[in-house]
Amino acid sequence: MKFLDSHVHMVSRTTDDYQRMASAGVAAIIEPSFWQGQPRTEPGTFKDYFNTLVGFERFRASQFGIKHYCTIGLNPKEANNEKLAEAVMELLPLYICKEGVVGIGEIGFDDQTRAEEKYLRLQAQLALEADLPIQIHTPHRDKRLGTIRTMDVLEDVGIDPAKVIIDHNNEETVKEVLDRGYWAAFTIYPHTKLGNERMVEILREYGAERIIVDSAADWGISDALAVPKTAALMKEQGITLERIEQVTYQNPLAAYGQSGQISEEDWSDTAGVDPAALFEGNTILRGGMDVATAMSQYRIE
Amino acid sequence: MRELLLDILDASAPGDACDWLRRRLGEHAAHFRRRPFYYDFSGVSRHFPKHAPVAATLEQLAALGEECPGFTVEGWDVFRLARVVLLEALGRQEKDTFLGTVAALLNTADLREQAAIYSAFPILPYSDDLVEAAVDGLRSNIVDVFDSIALGNPFPAAHFAAPAWNQMVLKALFINRPLHRIVGLDRRRNAALSEAVSYLAHERWSAGRTLPPEAWRNCIGFVDETIAADLGHLVDHGGPVDRQAAALVVASLPAEDAAPLRALLGPELAAAESGELTWDGLGRSLALDPGLNGSPVKP
Ligand SMILES: [Zn+2]
Repeated sequence: MKFLDSHVHMVSRTTDDYQRMASAGVAAIIEPSFWQGQPRTEPGTFKDYFNTLVGFERFRASQFGIKHYCTIGLNPKEANNEKLAEAVMELLPLYICKEGVVGIGEIGFDDQTRAEEKYLRLQAQLALEADLPIQIHTPHRDKRLGTIRTMDVLEDVGIDPAKVIIDHNNEETVKEVLDRGYWAAFTIYPHTKLGNERMVEILREYGAERIIVDSAADWGISDALAVPKTAALMKEQGITLERIEQVTYQNPLAAYGQSGQISEEDWSDTAGVDPAALFEGNTILRGGMDVATAMSQYRIE
Repeated sequence: MRELLLDILDASAPGDACDWLRRRLGEHAAHFRRRPFYYDFSGVSRHFPKHAPVAATLEQLAALGEECPGFTVEGWDVFRLARVVLLEALGRQEKDTFLGTVAALLNTADLREQAAIYSAFPILPYSDDLVEAAVDGLRSNIVDVFDSIALGNPFPAAHFAAPAWNQMVLKALFINRPLHRIVGLDRRRNAALSEAVSYLAHERWSAGRTLPPEAWRNCIGFVDETIAADLGHLVDHGGPVDRQAAALVVASLPAEDAAPLRALLGPELAAAESGELTWDGLGRSLALDPGLNGSPVKP
């Protein structure tokens, strides 16, 4: 079975992760723009970060046979530095229509401040202007109200819920998110929050329609294999393969496919990995290691 | 130039994509604003097929060369051509708008966009203000970006000072790019480059390594004692293509100056003198079989 992890911050991950993801069947990934663990202080570092997302990281993924896409946006945490936020807003139009940019994201609320709302609105308008899907980060604190408030703002701007993927849902938020017509994504965190067993329960209750499973793996404790692992658990627990494929592959493809920038042919047509390809004089595959032999236990045939 | 490029695009891409581009060109001509231009430049990827090569007829290629000597769309895909058409339109804006927009695009470009921008340089105005960007682009080791400036592009030969030109040619040798596709290679030959080629050859030979035979093309007109000795080394220790390269250089020398070398080169020299063997032909044969692209190790 092939997987599409629609939320993973690969700039923070090692090549081991890429190898294991490829072996486990992850065909494509979407990397949202987010903050990097400590606040940036200059707009130029955002520019270089965005350049990395459409440049080197894309290349790095390709070295493992994985297609890399991204969403571009100003994250809610850093929206609170208004001087910086203004400058980043000036940069966004240069990126959002690029090849492989499948949405504006991840945007939304963190502390639910006035500045956060302002930049959520402005970026929603930008998504409308560029006709792009939106990837929403929901706050970890006061999540339910923050999620409702996010949807209220988006609808106020005139966004079609069918073009919005609301991420980091839990049992408390999913019903309203689905009822209002949005895609509901679930991040599978190891140890905390939503583990893969709870995910199985959610699927039993709500079915697979408009539900997406992702890893949101980043620089913190997280699991780049969360999607294939959850799929394996689902299979073990008797969820049908069709349903598993829907939430780990077909749904994110359909949701972000509305950008016109991601389609299955992108990875079914590829000639595979070119180990001789160079980026800035670097090759990632030192010594021509064999990806295929490693870590195949999460693959579902 | 624009009509010619659009004709080629028409033959290479779906009609609705070309219609979109024409509409956008009209819009930018009527009232140019940066943000929509950014959207369109990137957004070419939303309207054109992702991997479609440009199909130009020989007549069209000849017409391009007539309007801008050395300029070609050979080897391009439709993304690049559509973006070059947009940049040509940008070139009709006033200088500050034009240069500011090009700089912003270059600063944030993905790989395919970078290649498109550099490919457009020969047909853009304010060339003097673009030279630094082109020189900087060559510092990239991304082969596609390097190639978009160095190969099939008349901009460097027309606008680079000798040091930048020489750096470009030497880097092309280092990363094994086909020299015969550098526009103006023969016209821009100079003593410093010839000397640098010889120095590089000695460095490689000392390390037991090889040098692409096309390198010696830069030494024509600057054959001194050192280069003559290098040619002797090629004849004595080189492979068949090294001997061909040596023959092409020797054929450019007055017969009386090169008697010892001529004596060593039989059929290769005859082929070079008859025109059967040329630098471009030699370059193409290397491109077909990169395994040949080596010159002798130290004996
Ligand atoms: Zn995230």
